[in-house]
Amino acid sequence: MSITLDFDVQQLDNNKRPLELHYLPAKIDGDGECADANKFFNNYTQEVADYGPGVLTNCLRGYPLLGKKLQPPEGYKGVVLQETDPSQTNRQLRLTGTFKDFTYWNYDKVPSKGDGYQQTLLALELAEALAAPIDESEIEEELKQQQETKKENT
Amino acid sequence: MEQADINQEMEQVEIKQENITIVETKENVEPPNKINSLKSLGPFIAARDNSKNTVYLSDVPDVCKEKPCMLGVDEAGRGPVLGPMVYGIAYCPLESKQVLEDLGCADSKQLNEEKRDSIFDELNTLDYATSCVGWAVEIISPNVISSSMFRRTKCSLNEVSMDSAMGLIQQAIDAGVNIAEVYVDTVGPPEKYQEKLLKRFPNFKITVAKKADSTYPIVSAASICAKVTRDHALKVWKFPEGLFIKDNAFGSGYPGDPVTKRFLTEQIDAVFGYPRLVRFSWSTAENALADKAYNMEFDEPDSEKPKYAGTKLTKFFKETTKTGEVKRVECRLFRECHLDNVVDF
Repeated sequence: MSITLDFDVQQLDNNKRPLELHYLPAKIDGDGECADANKFFNNYTQEVADYGPGVLTNCLRGYPLLGKKLQPPEGYKGVVLQETDPSQTNRQLRLTGTFKDFTYWNYDKVPSKGDGYQQTLLALELAEALAAPIDESEIEEELKQQQETKKENT
Repeated sequence: MEQADINQEMEQVEIKQENITIVETKENVEPPNKINSLKSLGPFIAARDNSKNTVYLSDVPDVCKEKPCMLGVDEAGRGPVLGPMVYGIAYCPLESKQVLEDLGCADSKQLNEEKRDSIFDELNTLDYATSCVGWAVEIISPNVISSSMFRRTKCSLNEVSMDSAMGLIQQAIDAGVNIAEVYVDTVGPPEKYQEKLLKRFPNFKITVAKKADSTYPIVSAASICAKVTRDHALKVWKFPEGLFIKDNAFGSGYPGDPVTKRFLTEQIDAVFGYPRLVRFSWSTAENALADKAYNMEFDEPDSEKPKYAGTKLTKFFKETTKTGEVKRVECRLFRECHLDNVVDF
């Protein structure tokens, strides 16, 4: 089994038509059709000062939403990939578009660091700590420090 | 056959363009800030954001600031699945009761639309009425109704109603109306409502009664203001979704109305459900969506937590399954950060 990302890296920097994305607090049991957010949703988004700066309000199927514009974490790019046939052994993902920010929505709760989404971002730091390449000199530095602390302790 | 199709298409295009020009000319005219006749009611409502509530207070006649007044409260459009609910108040000096009767503010349920419209117009144009009767309405947007009822801590329609009624009374007080007596029409149990009102406004003589609009002319006047406003709000409803329905013919909004029924079956979007003219919190709307739109699940609304939340004793026996497998609990850090192993995605 393999997964191919079937696009040119240069396309990632093509931000001419960034996608407008919404991160919704609901599980939507449907696939395929593109939701017409311009018709039903975007023109209802309003900034309401009561909840603090930058907090947006809207509703989805009558459920009150509170949202905020968020950017992908630093050093990361936002991309949307699409797969035509996930049942194949050699899977192929194509680039639908890129985004610089998206609107994160909570169900009747001001977005905060306590949200599941923001908590999961810790995974990125963990990955960084575990997988970032280490320079030879850094290892030597670390060894040196260890020896020094050993000496101090004895 | 093809030719006919094309013709039809052209016709549709033309109709669309017409609609656009109508909307544009409307927007060019300065929207009225005052409702001083039946004619100005529609344009006033149309100029407001229909996803939010709108409050309007008429000018307070000078006599209402000096002489003790009675004030009536009633609502329109509580039951329908479509459109706003409107709360209305009307007030006049206790001694001017005759004026209400002269205007024809009798049992408002007995009046037809035409009669209500003409009473509303007279109430705002004739000197003998404007000099002693004032009124106010709050148009509660269907968008606000749905989102109040679907909050994490749910706010029932009764609470929305009472807040609106008390808000309007307060605004009348703030505008200088010298209120002595308050009459309220209610659908629910009058006692509880009366108690709540007395707590908030202890200095008034408050009467809450079922069918008060047929007993008290001042409630009847309030009822007419509310009903006429609700009817016009539907007539001038502009869909922010860009939908055009000829003459805004979506029926009365009652689930039994065949026109409303058709609207509710035809206007379903698989993701968003309905345009926000619809009250999503009505079971009629929910049921129609359950059949025809994608199922959508939100976080559970906050429920009351059990009082005892400490570690259960039985926890110590639960770590292994019947077959002897040891269940491993995910490291707390990962659990709290919603992180999990993913192999397939």
